[in-house]
Amino acid sequence: MTGRRDALLVLLRISFRNLAASKVRTSIIGAIVLGGAFLVVLGLSLLDSIDKGMRTSIQGSLGGQLQVYDARSEDALELYGGLRGESLLEPIEDFAKVKQVLSAVPNVETVVPMGIDQAMVATGNVFDVALERLRADVRRVEGGDRSPEALRGYEARKAHVRRMVGLLRDELGQARSIADLEGRDAEDRRREWADLTRAADDAFWAGFDRDRYGNLEFLENRIAKLSMDGGFTFIRYVGTDVDAFFRAFQLAQVAEGEMIPRGRRGILVGKQYAEEWLKLRNARRLDQIKEARDRRGRRIADDEELQRWVRENRAGLKDILLQLDPIQAEEATARLRRALGPAAAAEALPALLARLFDADDATFDARYRIFYDQLAPLLRLYVINVGDTITIKAPAKSGYFNSVNVKVYGFIQFRQIEKSGIAGMMSVMDLQSFRDLYGYMTRERAAEIDAIKRSVGATDLAREDAEAALFGGGGALEGESRAARIDEGRLLADRRADRPAEDLSTRTYSQEEIDRGVALNAALILRDPSRLRETMRDVQAASDRAGLHLKVIDWQQASGLVGQFVTLLRVILYSAVVIFFAIALVIINNAMVMATLQRVKEIGTLRAIGAQRRFVLAMMLVEIASVGLAFGLAGAGLGGLGVWAVRAAGGIPATSDLLNFLFSGPALMPTLGGGSVAVSIVVVVVVSVLSGFYPALLAMRVTPVEAMATED
Amino acid sequence: MSIVAVQGVSKDYMLGKTVVPALRDVTLEIGRGEFLSIAGPSGSGKTTLLNLIGCVDTPTTGVVQVDGKDTSRLSERQLTDLRLRTIGFIFQSFNLVQVLSVFQNVEFPLLLQGGLSRRDREARVMGLLEAVGIASHARHRPSELSGGQRQRVAVARALVTAPSLVLADEPTANLDSATGENIIDLMKEMNARDGTTFVFSTHDPKVMAHASAVIRIADGRIVAREAGRGAAAEAAR
Repeated sequence: MTGRRDALLVLLRISFRNLAASKVRTSIIGAIVLGGAFLVVLGLSLLDSIDKGMRTSIQGSLGGQLQVYDARSEDALELYGGLRGESLLEPIEDFAKVKQVLSAVPNVETVVPMGIDQAMVATGNVFDVALERLRADVRRVEGGDRSPEALRGYEARKAHVRRMVGLLRDELGQARSIADLEGRDAEDRRREWADLTRAADDAFWAGFDRDRYGNLEFLENRIAKLSMDGGFTFIRYVGTDVDAFFRAFQLAQVAEGEMIPRGRRGILVGKQYAEEWLKLRNARRLDQIKEARDRRGRRIADDEELQRWVRENRAGLKDILLQLDPIQAEEATARLRRALGPAAAAEALPALLARLFDADDATFDARYRIFYDQLAPLLRLYVINVGDTITIKAPAKSGYFNSVNVKVYGFIQFRQIEKSGIAGMMSVMDLQSFRDLYGYMTRERAAEIDAIKRSVGATDLAREDAEAALFGGGGALEGESRAARIDEGRLLADRRADRPAEDLSTRTYSQEEIDRGVALNAALILRDPSRLRETMRDVQAASDRAGLHLKVIDWQQASGLVGQFVTLLRVILYSAVVIFFAIALVIINNAMVMATLQRVKEIGTLRAIGAQRRFVLAMMLVEIASVGLAFGLAGAGLGGLGVWAVRAAGGIPATSDLLNFLFSGPALMPTLGGGSVAVSIVVVVVVSVLSGFYPALLAMRVTPVEAMATED
Repeated sequence: MSIVAVQGVSKDYMLGKTVVPALRDVTLEIGRGEFLSIAGPSGSGKTTLLNLIGCVDTPTTGVVQVDGKDTSRLSERQLTDLRLRTIGFIFQSFNLVQVLSVFQNVEFPLLLQGGLSRRDREARVMGLLEAVGIASHARHRPSELSGGQRQRVAVARALVTAPSLVLADEPTANLDSATGENIIDLMKEMNARDGTTFVFSTHDPKVMAHASAVIRIADGRIVAREAGRGAAAEAAR
């Protein structure tokens, strides 16, 4: 045994001395190995951190650990929307049963019902808002309030509406000059134009006070509809058991306003959605410029996009001008003159606004503050505000549109990923409203329809009996039709007597009512998330036993494209690593073959004086493996240092929505994983040994005869 | 019993598609304690013959017996072991391991053999280094030595395992004649001291003169075996 040890010692000695002797070769191979280990450690650490961030984002915002949906669905569930819009899911008809069955699985803590869909939400327009204000004033004046303050307000509103009508007429006048006035709608167009001309006429306004309500109605019914702005926008929402939702998803928080009271109908509008779609365009653009400058270090002076935003803000003053009635406009003018300094002292409001928005890098921050401190309090910044009741419309399963009125209790955001549109676009609505929109029969609707059927005497007919039932048994004419006036009032009075109309918005639903009914999918929160695979099987088994036809998928699959992004990153990293090491393999192999060829004589000598083949083989492999190990460790250390440096520098900033979501925060703070270090060492040593294997075989094959060669 | 017996040995090399006969039907016996020189012009087959005797090559036909063992019946491992334990090599261009010190070069075969304690190894190595007169350079690297000094180290390395047979292929060819003669004297001294058999190839008549016998070889055939002056001197003693 001492023989073995002695041989091993001398083997190591020769190996190391050889490495030390050929410093250039060793350092080239070492640098490659070092680079490889560095790449693997840093890459894997970043990837693992992104993976962890994404896990936090998905699990904490909508995903939970598992998701279930009907296995007979046409599409796969995609929580954050797919490329082709919302997935078509077969509804889970009785969520209560699903909840009962799945809650019985030991590791399942919560089952949260969900229904994700898109709907249209009416945003109203500035015209409507102005007319509403005017109507309130008219009511005051007609009610006998003749105080100077009331009259002043009334006159100001009137002037405001009048100016808006004027603007609208200018706008439509331009459209008229390019429109086809001979077509089918020509008559309508002409009537609209006549209405508008009348409303813009001095005579109309001079005589306004003679029939205040009548003229107001004319404006509301004939003019307001001509205003094209506003209308509706799309909203993406999840209908859910709101209480359970907030308990399950830790990242969810009410950003503004309040939580929907337990069991009530209502909606929490996605904060980021509100920013992007509901906010006054000028304010939104200011926010975007600020964000770009503060967080991404971009500058107006050398950024094409920021310059465009500034230009658009300067030109797009209409939204603001329309919102301000003369009193507010006066106030705004005064404030802006004060804030913008002596150069602006004599300017009118449009010029002042243009001056406000025409910012460069030096003035932007000050202008931003002026906008928010001085101007914003006079403006309606969002078309939907906390406390509003909004009308949401969606095509129901039955084919026609359903709509519901829901109160906006507040704005919702997801902590750490507030800026991400992926989760931030999502609004959260109560489950009952979702069911109404979705068009699935809720119990109360079923009861209501039943009651209506009974009161009008409708009966169900089988198709085959329909003819006989409807048209009689073929006897003589059974009765004569006679025209009768439909007494709507009486019919409705009857209905009211049957069941007092209920204000749905104040009704509180019990947990049982919330659970019983339709959901499209459900999120499962696990007690021990690390036992995900096992629980997934248990849930599937429980569902199958109960005959629920559920498909169980994990959070990553449920997140659709988003979840695949990390898989994509992983594939890219692994490919890069594989390519890197394939090249490394070739280079190291070459270097070692060269080294072997240079040492043929020495190896031959060793063989001649009694070294066995395996001694030579081992010597060569030890040589390359020790380079791999030493430089691999150094590279891994460097990788660790890299991770530390990235952290010290404040992490990798999330410069896009997707990154914000994947990083689960404004910046990625990578953590060094023990796993990635171990993997990198194993990989580089294996690659080194592999690349050293062929040259080692060559060396092993060197015959002792080579020692005798006398070419030198 | 002779240490080496070569019987009817031929060795062919392939040079492209032509067969080049290096040795043709050589028969030779070398007795223990001989100080034998194989002489002949380059390309005559000297080195081939030494390779066959040194178990680094095997004959195409015929039998080579070293220390009573038929080399063609031994496995690669057994041949290596035979080289390690029975044969010592001295090369024309010294062939020291550049990355090892003088001491470590000489120690190397002992480490391969194993079995000796560190102190025994040291005693053996230093004893030999003293015997070849290079003890003061034990810590030097081969590159720091002159050619003659290097060949002295090589001699010490060949002898350190106390082999029965030492083979030297043109040991003086890379040395000036005075140094070469010193090396031959050294080898001869060792031959006289331990009775180790020395077989060396050379084409230098002055070197041949020291041999106890000279095998003359030409075109792969042994043309003569003559007693050398060294032998005569020995016989006279």
